[in-house]
Amino acid sequence: MGTLDPILEVRDVSKTFDRVVRALDNVSIMVRRNEIVSVVGENGAGKSTLMKILVGVYQPDSGEMYQMGRKVPFPRDPLDALSRGISIVYQERGVIPHLKVYQFLFLGLEEKFTRLGRLQLGKIIGLAKSVFEELGLKCDLASSMYELPPSTQKMVEIARAILSVRLMVGMDGEAEIIPVIILDEPTAPLSIEERDELFNYLLNLKKSNSFIFVSHIIPEVMKFSDRIYVLRDGRVVAHHDLSSEKVTEDQIFREIVGRESYYDLWARYVYSAGAVEGRRVVLSVRNLTKKGYFENISFDLHEGECIGLFGPAGCGKSEIAKALYGEIAADAGEILVDSRKVKLKSEPYARVKLGIGYFSGETGKELFLFWPIRKNVSIVNFDKVTKRPLKIISVISFNAERSLAEKIMKKLRIRAPNVETECYSLSGGNKQKVSVGKWLEKSPKILVLEDPTIGIDVGAREEIYEVLLEMKKNGIAMILVSDDPKEYAILCDKIISIRGGVIQATYTNEEFRRLMGL
Amino acid sequence: MKSEVERLKIGSVIAASIWRLVKVNPAVWAIVALVVIFSALVPDKFLSTSNLVAILKNFAVTSMLAVGPTFVILLGSIDVSYMGIWMFGGALVWLLYPYLGLASIAIYPIFGLLVGLFNGVVHVKAKVPSFILTIAVTAVLAFLTTYVRNISGVLTLIVPAYNFLRESPIPYIPSPFLLALPVIVLALFIMFFTKLGTYFCAIGSNEEGAKLAGINVEKYKILAFTLSGLLTGLGSIAIFVHLGCQTRVDFDPSELVRGLAAIVLGGTPLAGGMGGPHRTLLGALVYVLIFNGLFLLPGVDPNHLKLYVGTLLLGAVIAASRALKGALIA
Repeated sequence: MGTLDPILEVRDVSKTFDRVVRALDNVSIMVRRNEIVSVVGENGAGKSTLMKILVGVYQPDSGEMYQMGRKVPFPRDPLDALSRGISIVYQERGVIPHLKVYQFLFLGLEEKFTRLGRLQLGKIIGLAKSVFEELGLKCDLASSMYELPPSTQKMVEIARAILSVRLMVGMDGEAEIIPVIILDEPTAPLSIEERDELFNYLLNLKKSNSFIFVSHIIPEVMKFSDRIYVLRDGRVVAHHDLSSEKVTEDQIFREIVGRESYYDLWARYVYSAGAVEGRRVVLSVRNLTKKGYFENISFDLHEGECIGLFGPAGCGKSEIAKALYGEIAADAGEILVDSRKVKLKSEPYARVKLGIGYFSGETGKELFLFWPIRKNVSIVNFDKVTKRPLKIISVISFNAERSLAEKIMKKLRIRAPNVETECYSLSGGNKQKVSVGKWLEKSPKILVLEDPTIGIDVGAREEIYEVLLEMKKNGIAMILVSDDPKEYAILCDKIISIRGGVIQATYTNEEFRRLMGL
Repeated sequence: MKSEVERLKIGSVIAASIWRLVKVNPAVWAIVALVVIFSALVPDKFLSTSNLVAILKNFAVTSMLAVGPTFVILLGSIDVSYMGIWMFGGALVWLLYPYLGLASIAIYPIFGLLVGLFNGVVHVKAKVPSFILTIAVTAVLAFLTTYVRNISGVLTLIVPAYNFLRESPIPYIPSPFLLALPVIVLALFIMFFTKLGTYFCAIGSNEEGAKLAGINVEKYKILAFTLSGLLTGLGSIAIFVHLGCQTRVDFDPSELVRGLAAIVLGGTPLAGGMGGPHRTLLGALVYVLIFNGLFLLPGVDPNHLKLYVGTLLLGAVIAASRALKGALIA
């Protein structure tokens, strides 16, 4: 076999869930020996489904699979995949914190090192040592997993995946198989320096293994992969061989998001930049720093202004948003709300009191799915739906609760039978509307938006944008963090571009649009 | 004519709300079924006035053990310190009666509040698992109660001066029930008419989401434990009176199960997030009906009653948790 022949290939894989949701639509990808292949796409593009088919968690509806040029059936289950040389390292929950490193490394493989019911510890540790030496991994085998830094934990997990392939395949006594290790968003829990450490480790391992790298963080994908597949809505929309063609980050960015899909929507909003000079500054950020995530971030946010923090995932933008909302604490710098300095270490409830609200489009993150719409609205609005017969007691008025929820339902055109409808039964877009609607009446001074329209269809997006723009017109200031350039173009007056945790440039809306070609 | 239409409309609204009540509270079915079964099997005994009064009394006692901890269980934590509050609170009343006179009964709610506050602060700030913490608190308080009895050289910690509380001003309605009523009203009021009920459910069902909605999670957790202690303290007065103005001096684990049983039978899952004191009241009634009815059946050895009830409970808890799971997925 030549070195360019694929060692693993799937052709025309389709998978439909519940007979309606088409997760994969005739997808074909292949992996050559000793390369890193990236599969990129938005949440819900089908990346995870494809990977789960490769390791036997799901069975495809149709498609073919080839290994070393021979046609083979799809793996029945993860163990079957493992014995054919395919292993996966999941994004999270992979590590068992209280196991020792060598125990974790051989977890589930003890059978091969047991004689007369006794575990041959000496043999295990000896093998672990030689594997670590070969892979260039330096850590104490006797320490517990949780004591290791996150990047080393990930490396041990990868070592474990390689080791289990070797042991499983070796058992069958087959010819040489090159392990294909799938890495599902391996850098998600890591800081910027730790990511580089992990990648150097992978480049070293590439000599004897192949990797499928699943991610939506474009810069690292560009830096370390040999080839890139872009998945969108269950289809492969682009395939780049980085050794032979020149691709820019922005190009991949657009392929991931699907430029044409709702360009029309954007065009309908002729942007009118209001002058922010002279308006009150509601939020000042001065040299805000959190080691390993972002550094020296400074900006002023005016009343009714929306500032977008723009950059690839992992650049620190969502950490800045979280620091503003009190979910994580910055190490240094200043945050001033209405020119008053506030504590860096805080909690969301304290920030809500200062007038900072938070809205994320991630389903279920801040919605109580089994509650009626009414309760989901009143949870931040108790001051509006209660009466105080005595100073210390506030009594909920059901009528006030109901009319508040009805008002918001009508205003946001939430499609549900009534305010008592439980939220799990709503569509994605309507769920999001309930989530954002609760802030509509609260009218915070500042609203932090994280991916406000993730995973919902164009029509629903438009309605969410309308609501947000109206809130902006009423003087609410906003911070936007998103993966979608068009969202910035629609909502933001000013866009701060962030790379590697530092501010690169600041653009006006017009400059930004010109730059992005919107 | 118009009023006729309105009356019809009101009727249908009432019918709909009753249907909803039955649909979301399976305990209502159990209550109806138990009443029908026991009325058919032993009609003369079960439906006698004295038995119905006994049921009411036992209902008051069982619900007073369970209503307070329900708020903690909504959070997904657990509070079994009610036994300790009830026992040692009574010992304190007995100890302080010579100094405070009749006012010493106020020790109960104050002591309950303090124990609840302690539980809450230790659980939240030191991150001690709530079950271990509150059962340790109960063990200590139960020991102290026995200790007080032993060093005082008495058999019971009885305060006869409160005997007037045992007389009920209303015929057929036992006084423990009347004493329990305000506690029940208070618990229901907190659950449905203040934001606390909503916040507790929010924390129990999605702690991360509750935090993001701007709820001070730690504060409300401590508040739930404190409230649990306070309500148990208030409710203990009813139990105190029921036992003849004295407190228990020996620890009985089946009393501990009784409170949790009422909560779980009522349909508040131990995982938290849904349910509440209204369900616990229904659960307490189910528990009392089972116990009472079995006691009346001929051929049932009263000495084995606890075993039967315990086994039944186990089955009910398993069935209830399965049913709830189904309801959640649907």
